[in-house]
Amino acid sequence: MMLRRAEFWGGLFWLAIGAFVAWQGWLLELGTLREPGSGFVFFWLGLIIVAFATSIAIGGLRGEGPLLGDLWRGARWRNVLLVVLALIAFGFMFERLGFVICSLALLLFLMTVVDPVRPTISIPVSLIAAVGVWYVLEKMLLVQLPKGTWVEDFIPF
Amino acid sequence: MDVIAGLGQGFLVALDPINLLYCFIGVFIGTLVGVLPGIGPVSAMSLLLPVTLSGTPESGIIMMAGIYYGSMYGGSTTAVLVNIPGEAASVVTCIDGHEMAKRGRAGPALGIAALGSFVAGTFSIVALMLVAPALSRVAVAFGPPEYFSLMVLGLSILSFLTQGSMAKALLMAAVGVVIGLIGLDQINAMPRLTFDRLELVDGIGLIPVVMGLFGVAEILTNIEQQIRRDIVQSRIGSLWPSKEDLKASAGPVARGTVLGFLLGILPGGGAVISSFASYAIEKKLSRTPERFGKGAIEGVAGPESANNAAAGGAFIPLMTLGIPPNVVMALLLGAFVIHGLQPGPLMMSQNPQIFWGIVASMYVGNIMLLVLNMPLIGMWVQVLKAPYKILFPLILMFCIVGVFASGNAVFDVFVMIGTGVLGYLMRKFGYEAAPLVLAFVLGPMLENNLRKSLILSEGTFDIFVVRPISLVCLLIAAALLIAPLLPALRKKREKVALDATD
Repeated sequence: MMLRRAEFWGGLFWLAIGAFVAWQGWLLELGTLREPGSGFVFFWLGLIIVAFATSIAIGGLRGEGPLLGDLWRGARWRNVLLVVLALIAFGFMFERLGFVICSLALLLFLMTVVDPVRPTISIPVSLIAAVGVWYVLEKMLLVQLPKGTWVEDFIPF
Repeated sequence: MDVIAGLGQGFLVALDPINLLYCFIGVFIGTLVGVLPGIGPVSAMSLLLPVTLSGTPESGIIMMAGIYYGSMYGGSTTAVLVNIPGEAASVVTCIDGHEMAKRGRAGPALGIAALGSFVAGTFSIVALMLVAPALSRVAVAFGPPEYFSLMVLGLSILSFLTQGSMAKALLMAAVGVVIGLIGLDQINAMPRLTFDRLELVDGIGLIPVVMGLFGVAEILTNIEQQIRRDIVQSRIGSLWPSKEDLKASAGPVARGTVLGFLLGILPGGGAVISSFASYAIEKKLSRTPERFGKGAIEGVAGPESANNAAAGGAFIPLMTLGIPPNVVMALLLGAFVIHGLQPGPLMMSQNPQIFWGIVASMYVGNIMLLVLNMPLIGMWVQVLKAPYKILFPLILMFCIVGVFASGNAVFDVFVMIGTGVLGYLMRKFGYEAAPLVLAFVLGPMLENNLRKSLILSEGTFDIFVVRPISLVCLLIAAALLIAPLLPALRKKREKVALDATD
């Protein structure tokens, strides 16, 4: 029962992070108090994180905080997963397909699959937003956006 | 420099047509993001940070400042009409503001919010103008120990005032410093926690971290629940409050203004805390406290004035000490640094046109906001009617564009996605992002001043206690950190957190 507490798992996660930071600090060299080294602050911060994380994890073991499953009870977690996956795909394809195609695909996906909107709205909104933002940034503010290494030969502008 | 002469020079800068345009864009976007729930000043300022590069430093910073105080104005519209705070500082306005709207008094509620905000905003600018030069002269004497202790105090106050567990808030602050230190060591140029990735040598950028933790995390949190907006359908009517309303609001506006300004100056304090404090004070002082929560105009006037005054007060530690007291000011510090400027005690003597230009632009911006908020309320209501399922994809796209444009690197987009997921999980598990972001910004300064202090003192920690300013800061920080261990104080802190949650 105690192992199902969110506090326990949250604490454990930060405990691992803190231990890693302290270890990295140790590797970077602590130096001396007269001349602190590059790892001095990392090492001590790592230990501070470990201390707080341990207290949080112990709280979880004592039964404090909600159950892990309760955090997502009734939540539309599928939407969250889809958005994160769409963003990762966007990141990977951004330089290959360019800003306009990627943004258009992202907007249409979000407005069609994640939280559906009528096509009569989603298509014009996506088109206007993707092309409009591209025009303002590229042409007016002179901010360079990826043209797309896979498609730049086919694009006239 | 004489205050009047400085202000004169400032108005020359602020009234330059291009700066007027930037100021207008800033307050307009600020009001818009204040009105829209789900996107706050932090996200908007991060988004527009790269845009400031195309203009002069003063233009960019005038626009960024305008977004901040503009969002304080705009937040009240959503709070009154929809019962959703447009941004965090308007949470309290929902209580009585929406009740007034339901009783057909949306107009006076919005009107008093705009008037109170104007009065408070103007007062805080005058105070900023008078206090900042004096504080700058004092701050010149600050050395590494004072700076270190002041930053420790700021992080302690923020952790103390954060809702929920203080251990979690302090943990977040420690994590923030670690992330802020990734990259080259400032003293010996040794790469730290870069894992042989070239992209990490210069450190992790502020914009992707902020956009992830606030922008993307907010969207992920919102889309997993059904958002229902209950917009007041009745006619808004005249915005001008009646004589009785003005009489009832005069005291709350005055008290909220002074309180907000003072809390805004404190590192770690700010608009949210001051609006709650103002509401509590007005309720306590009222002869009819039972009206609060049922549409008392004092419950709108006080908190709205307080949060706007705090927005002005928050400029003081940034401009005079170079230390941002909250996340928004941290972003503004980022804007200064991008333009090669370092806010601090020497700012007024080295870049008077920027300091006074910003101060003067805030007068101009406050007048623009009054003009924007009063007659354009109908337009903001229309904006509020846009469904979230159309808004969130657009906000996400703007986040990506803003992050990419800030560094021209896809790596930053991945940092934003990573911190977005982290921020979403942090909200789920009850960890606040604000201490992390402030510590992220202060981290390099904190480490630098700690190491310099230790080198100066030849390795003893006495240097932090023999200097009075440093000692006072550390004593207050220690008291705040020990406070939750004492049962009476813990109850008080939990009550503040509970009130905030309610």
